[in-house]
Amino acid sequence: MSTSRTTETNKVRNRILIALGAIIVIATYVYIVVAQPAEIAESATSQASLIAIAGYVVGAILLAAGSIHRLPTVTLAMVPVAIALNIVVGQLVSVLNLPIYLDSIGTVLVSAIAGPAAGVVTGILTNVIWGLLLNPISLPFAVVQVVIGVMAGYAARWGFFRMWYLAPVAGLVTGVVAAVISAPIAAYIFGGATSAGTGAIVGAFQAMGQSLLGATTLQGLISDPLDKAITFTVVVIILAALPARFLQRFPFVREYNVFGKKAPVLSPSSAAAAPAAAEAAVDAAADADGTTER
Amino acid sequence: MSTTLYSGHSTPIHRLNPLTKLVAMLAIIVIAFALPWWASVLLIVVVIVPAAVIAKCGRRLLWISLIMLLPILLALFAVQGLTFPGGATVVWQWEFLTVTSEGLMFALTVGSRICALVLASILLVLTTHPGTLMSSLTEHGMSPKFAYIISSTLQLVPAFKDRADSILLAQQSRGLAITGNPLRRVRLMMPLLTPLVLGMFTDVEERSTAMEARAFGSAAKRTTLVPVPDSTAQRIARWLFVVLAAAAIATPIVMGLL
Repeated sequence: MSTSRTTETNKVRNRILIALGAIIVIATYVYIVVAQPAEIAESATSQASLIAIAGYVVGAILLAAGSIHRLPTVTLAMVPVAIALNIVVGQLVSVLNLPIYLDSIGTVLVSAIAGPAAGVVTGILTNVIWGLLLNPISLPFAVVQVVIGVMAGYAARWGFFRMWYLAPVAGLVTGVVAAVISAPIAAYIFGGATSAGTGAIVGAFQAMGQSLLGATTLQGLISDPLDKAITFTVVVIILAALPARFLQRFPFVREYNVFGKKAPVLSPSSAAAAPAAAEAAVDAAADADGTTER
Repeated sequence: MSTTLYSGHSTPIHRLNPLTKLVAMLAIIVIAFALPWWASVLLIVVVIVPAAVIAKCGRRLLWISLIMLLPILLALFAVQGLTFPGGATVVWQWEFLTVTSEGLMFALTVGSRICALVLASILLVLTTHPGTLMSSLTEHGMSPKFAYIISSTLQLVPAFKDRADSILLAQQSRGLAITGNPLRRVRLMMPLLTPLVLGMFTDVEERSTAMEARAFGSAAKRTTLVPVPDSTAQRIARWLFVVLAAAAIATPIVMGLL
């Protein structure tokens, strides 16, 4: 059975990639916070910005490479839709002149119905495509979307999408983490000025005596938690409007009972089976679902 | 809006293997971030601008990057010049505003790096069709799933924009006003979003069945339908770029030790 052995080694490889990516992202952040803050001021040859950009990009790529092979075809077909949703809604919001971004609705939506791995892939590719289509400045921030995907996926696992009032709480926490993770990028790659508006806020904090990293972290903490709380709430409302039959097609939704009582848990053994078998089981389960509901 | 910025000329730069251009772009970014500001300026003047002129997209590159960079650079110099935490040497003072040379130096360093980053990546996007970039990366071992997602999204985005626009018009014709205070406008998101998402997700199921029927989930290695032209010279050039980038990282460390 060489095929089963290769899938087994692939699984191990994917786990290693994900673990390595997570370690690199965390190590990058810790290194920058612990070792650098003051020095960048003195020496232009300081390596902090290079380490920030390289560590985050490499970590995000490893996470995505390890995640993509865990996704069944249904999820993969959904990812482009979610990315387009991120981009189109992000632009729609800028047309409506709102003081928030709402550029991760698709990422959170996919994480909630297909798990953290799907959120990671959606997140990083959103920023890659955003960079290709509109603005390369979003490229270094890919890791932030990855973190949002992971957080939203685990929030769904732990039942934060069962009640509409729990989702904004998960959103607030995600926003705080996103702000903290994105601060070194804003500080050491963009010097605090990712746009004229954020630049002014960073300047105000620096004038009050904050360091560069402190100022960008505070700037993120002003906008990100609110933005993510609204995003998570919007996603919960959208999910409530989607037909239950569609949502129950996803093994992740059934396995972790993401939407509470309205999700009848099918035989747990089918969700725990090997991916190839699980996929066949999903199709069968979806058919069974349709017949029982009608 | 066209899907990408790609401009389809046929110049030597356009004909290069996409991987060569990608590696060159990454090397430029690494060198810019590893060395002091003059390296970024040197790269822009000696590499990026001549390449853009050869690729006949110098004017487009200039306009796109000006629109993107100008607000950021202005904010950067204003904010860091005035409020940089490490600023000590005062260059210019008026009332309570003081500009420090450390702040301006920091803004120059960061600004030149951002310029190199943005110019190099826009040049890549202008001269490389996303489709060829994807097939070339897939040939070199990237999972075809990434290529599927990226190519498919690039086709979906314009279609969804049309859909979002028509939903907006439809709801406006029913009396939806898109003015008012911010809180009201946040509430307006819902009658726009729900039909958009519902419509978008309905065909996902069908598409995934069709993909599965064509062995999309198979892990076997595929052959390419249209091979992307490559040459030994470009292969050597790519390794040269990698070596240059590594040297740029090593130089400050070695200089620091001496």
